[in-house]
Amino acid sequence: MMLEIRDLHKTFGKFHALNGLDMTIPQGALYGFVGPNGAGKTTAIKIMTGLLRADSGSAKIDGVEVTKGTSQLKMKIGYVPDFFGVYDNLKVSEYLEFFSSCYGIDGLKARTRYMTLLEQVGLEDKVNFYVDSLSRGMKQRLCLARALIHDPALLVMDEPTSGLDPRTRYEFREILKELREQGKTILISSHVLSELSELCTDIGIIEQGKIVLSGSMGEILRRINATNPLIISILGQKDKALAILKSQPCVQTISMKDGDIMVNFIGEERDEAMLLQQLVDAEVPVHGFTRERGSLETLFMQITDHDGEKAVLVHENESGI
Amino acid sequence: MRTNPVYKREITVSARSFRLALVIMVFNGILALIALLNMYSVVERVKMTADIQYSSFLNLYVFVAVVEFIMLMFIMPALTAGSISGERERQTLDLMLTTTMKPSDIILGKLASSFSTMFIMIVSSFPLLAVSFVYGGITLSDVFLLLLCYVAVALMCGSMGICFSSIFKRSTIATAVTYGVLIVVAAGTYAANTFALSISQMNINNIYSNTMGGMMETASSGGFLYLLLINPVATFYMMISGQTGSNQMANSFNRWFGPHPENFVTKYWVVISLALQLLLALVFIMIAIYAVDRGGVSRRKTEKKVK
Repeated sequence: MMLEIRDLHKTFGKFHALNGLDMTIPQGALYGFVGPNGAGKTTAIKIMTGLLRADSGSAKIDGVEVTKGTSQLKMKIGYVPDFFGVYDNLKVSEYLEFFSSCYGIDGLKARTRYMTLLEQVGLEDKVNFYVDSLSRGMKQRLCLARALIHDPALLVMDEPTSGLDPRTRYEFREILKELREQGKTILISSHVLSELSELCTDIGIIEQGKIVLSGSMGEILRRINATNPLIISILGQKDKALAILKSQPCVQTISMKDGDIMVNFIGEERDEAMLLQQLVDAEVPVHGFTRERGSLETLFMQITDHDGEKAVLVHENESGI
Repeated sequence: MRTNPVYKREITVSARSFRLALVIMVFNGILALIALLNMYSVVERVKMTADIQYSSFLNLYVFVAVVEFIMLMFIMPALTAGSISGERERQTLDLMLTTTMKPSDIILGKLASSFSTMFIMIVSSFPLLAVSFVYGGITLSDVFLLLLCYVAVALMCGSMGICFSSIFKRSTIATAVTYGVLIVVAAGTYAANTFALSISQMNINNIYSNTMGGMMETASSGGFLYLLLINPVATFYMMISGQTGSNQMANSFNRWFGPHPENFVTKYWVVISLALQLLLALVFIMIAIYAVDRGGVSRRKTEKKVK
């Protein structure tokens, strides 16, 4: 395993940022780290990179405990934060030279390395430009080059594409794919879930400081389809339908969306057919009965949105069920 | 030998900036103008009285030395108080801390670059001080002691700035606190002695209100005098007045804060005070390193274990 986190806890005053976080990233994976704002993503990333100390638990990178903070460990991680972190009055070459010397790489070795990286991120013609004269997308690519200057095995990226235009995002994605092909393990935290679903090999969803869902992307997408809600469209009064749905053991939650009934239904296709049969037998005018199409976005919303259940309660109170 | 990356970057940026060249030019321009005016007034006096006042040239030495000292005390904190907090505001501190560079490298690189800037300014004005050599009165050891005094005060004020810059997130707060502490060190220790002296005088007045004279002379600030050891202004004054022969070091204290017994500390006041200032600088640097390291991982200890 490239990254192994076990029972990580971190509190800021009374706020529990991490509440027993467990996660593992296999070697060579492109891991999507997803969670709502304040879920603990940045805290976890800062602990991984050695910028924060955890209260308890363990975090190992390639078998080395992060709290040890050795130079050997620092050489394994490249960090791209959600900000650029650039200096005024410094040229692209000087910026990269500075960071390479921070890793003890100097002279010709450093120059060769940063020229290769600039070529990889498409900034080879900007080597003598001042950093502050670069566009947002270029700055982000420069930051990526900076994070790779010491050829780390693990690249940790915190919201790297936020604020970038679609074209730059696409180019950035292509660079990440290329890096993965080169054998790098990449952890990327992002809110753009559609982007992650087509890019990542593995995913972990964090909520309130702990991982609520993790696994390979393929496996999770299969699970999403099975756990997506049933969308039932009824003509006229829905009370009778709601009463039938409430009596079903397979029905977990019920909510309303655009006049349709959204049902979290845990069951086989046969159970779905039986439910439809019951509705039809009870002369409920059903004109739509389908599973919602699965996407990472809907899964994320299901896991992180607790308002759905409240909506049902409100509806139940209002309709007197 | 490998150059500290932070120092190298800071020097590159400052050398590229027009500001440093302008500051050096303005600073030396003012000093040169004053030196010329001083020489002009001496020559004019000679024309009128046919008498050369060599002490006037010493005034030039004192003036340049004082201006440089004030500049050091005020500019050095300004150069360093925003150094670490500035990196934090620019969000580049985290980037540096994820590299193999140690927090001590960051702190020392920053301090060294600010010190170099100050040193360039001081050394560039030395030719003006050299004018005093033409007429005599100042020895090479005096200039060396003056330089040592500058180094000590620059390191103390600079490390104080870096220390507060590491502790406080905002540069403005770090700068305000640095100047605040500097005022407490410079004016506060003086005020404490004045206060102690007046309390001592009041006590003597109360006890011996009916007796005549004599006892008033024994009033002094007592042990508070040693607080002035950390006061760079007091030490500089002692040193410069000793060098120009206008006063003996111990006499100044006695004149200000009443009679104090002559002992090892008062005898070697300047040397002890400079050593203490350097020690304080070291303490500030250690605090700064700890403050920068606090958010990260204690590298130094674990590095030793790994080795």
